[in-house]
Amino acid sequence: MKIAVAGKGGSGKTTIAGTLARVLARAGMDVLAIDGDTNPNLAISIGIPRERMPDLVPLPNTVLQRVTDADGKPKGVLSLSLEEVKRQFGTAVAPHLTLLQMARVDHAGAG
Amino acid sequence: MRELTATIAGGSLEHVVLDMEAGVEHLSRGTARNTDTLLVIAEPYYKALETAARVALLGKELGIARVLTIVNKVRASDEESIKQFAARHALQVAAEIPHDESVAEADRLGIAPIDHDDSSRLIRAVEALVKQLLPG
Repeated sequence: MKIAVAGKGGSGKTTIAGTLARVLARAGMDVLAIDGDTNPNLAISIGIPRERMPDLVPLPNTVLQRVTDADGKPKGVLSLSLEEVKRQFGTAVAPHLTLLQMARVDHAGAG
Repeated sequence: MRELTATIAGGSLEHVVLDMEAGVEHLSRGTARNTDTLLVIAEPYYKALETAARVALLGKELGIARVLTIVNKVRASDEESIKQFAARHALQVAAEIPHDESVAEADRLGIAPIDHDDSSRLIRAVEALVKQLLPG
């Protein structure tokens, strides 16, 4: 199951995303939670203690490489396997649950 | 970043929960295109529901297999207006999550709601939602 959670700021979107990830993991499913919000708050809602916040390593955009596919269309491919991405940049939250923090976008239109 | 997020979400992982950018303008750029379920979270106000209905439609147009609208922070006094809105706008509300004071308490303490009160109304509602989402 691949679930995207959308909503306006203040809707409780991040609270629901974090809780949903925890509930799925608690049921024994291996879950990767991705914080794709430019104002990252998922770590708190999902249960990373404050003192561990500095340990979060955002995933840099550079792991995505631009290549041209057989039809001549540009596409992005990862320079690392997903397992490597999880190992190097993921933060263990609970059994079966890893949090991945995407890098912030520093200027409008980037990313 | 959106391209990278979409690529990771679309990778060979069994379960992904993607907390998307706040707001709705970015949805058309396809960050969610590799997901199979889009949850559109809205507060129980007319304008918020209006926006949610639009986002849900956009999600379907993007080809996301399952698009569910969830109304959050619902108080008993909201029930009737949600029902009326849904009927008038052909909006299907998949779940309502009750207003829950323990969420604000957890926020003040800087901890996750599930670590603050494991059996709060929010947690029970999310557990019910998971049952709804799981196949079978």
